[in-house]
Amino acid sequence: MMAGLARLAWTFLWLSPLCVGGGLGVVPEMQRQVVARYEWVTAREFVDGYTLSQLTPGPNMLVVVFVGYRAYGVPGACLAGLAMFLPTSSLTALVARRWERVRAHPWALAGERALAPVGIGLMAAGVYTLARSAVHDAPTAALALVATLALTASWVPPVTVVLVGGLAGWLLGL
Amino acid sequence: MSRVRLLHLVRVFAWTGLTSLGGGRSAYFHDAVVVRRPWVRNDEFVQDLTLSQLLPGPNFANLAVALGCRLAGWAGGAGALGAIVAPGAVILLLLAVVYFRGGFAPGTTHVMHGMAATVVGLVLVTTARIVRASLHGRVALVVAVATFLLVGPLGVNTPLAIALVLPVALWWHRPRRA
Repeated sequence: MMAGLARLAWTFLWLSPLCVGGGLGVVPEMQRQVVARYEWVTAREFVDGYTLSQLTPGPNMLVVVFVGYRAYGVPGACLAGLAMFLPTSSLTALVARRWERVRAHPWALAGERALAPVGIGLMAAGVYTLARSAVHDAPTAALALVATLALTASWVPPVTVVLVGGLAGWLLGL
Repeated sequence: MSRVRLLHLVRVFAWTGLTSLGGGRSAYFHDAVVVRRPWVRNDEFVQDLTLSQLLPGPNFANLAVALGCRLAGWAGGAGALGAIVAPGAVILLLLAVVYFRGGFAPGTTHVMHGMAATVVGLVLVTTARIVRASLHGRVALVVAVATFLLVGPLGVNTPLAIALVLPVALWWHRPRRA
């Protein structure tokens, strides 16, 4: 149990700085670690957990609480959350207080410009990973497409779209 | 030197966190601390937003911490983090308990499958918006596509993929003398 908890904490600790430009970017690697490598959750449970985290207020990366709970109960959930948020937030606090000076450095701008496309590539890979688990037949593909169009064409609150998707899933018996 | 009382900050951040569902969450913060309350100037907010995206880690949390530090020092940063993470963490923990005990009503599997499929649409749209807003130039496109292919379809370990791609991107944008 102790060794398992340590492994869980360590995994989310090194995953957290991979959230470059948003939590979505870390999804491919997180899935590889928690599903394929350690088998804490199944691929289906992982995508369900991510979906629930979208419906829950707060950062999407709270999905680690879901995974941590499945792996080692409430202690696992707490530890996973701390490992995901505490170290990188401390770094942010440290840098935020010195930001004026850091920003003046010429490499800060280079870093900003170089990281942006890497973050976008990671996000796209995150979409790919989620799609591979969640879109597995014609009806789910159609549902994803309709959601994409609805969110592109008009301003519908994302939560509404997701809940309507749930209703459609129930009616269609997906 | 804090601009805001800690308790007040925690209350406002917790409320903002609880009500900012779905995409575009930073917009809710902008509304809460720049538009509705004279706590943070617009240029300060943009600065904190850039910082939160540039630094590693979940950036919604990073933004809250940066704003919290600005408003009430270290305690403000810690309070802001707790305020936006704790309520959602408790809710998700409860959902996880119900989910794994099989406490969701029969038929919930179908509901989850439907919601998961729509979430794919949601993340696709969010990503497309960011591509349109901040992917400029051929080099950036090549870097983004290379990262996507490595981490997505090719299944390369993410730190390794970043180690391969980032130095090239950094070298391209290296500071040059005018």
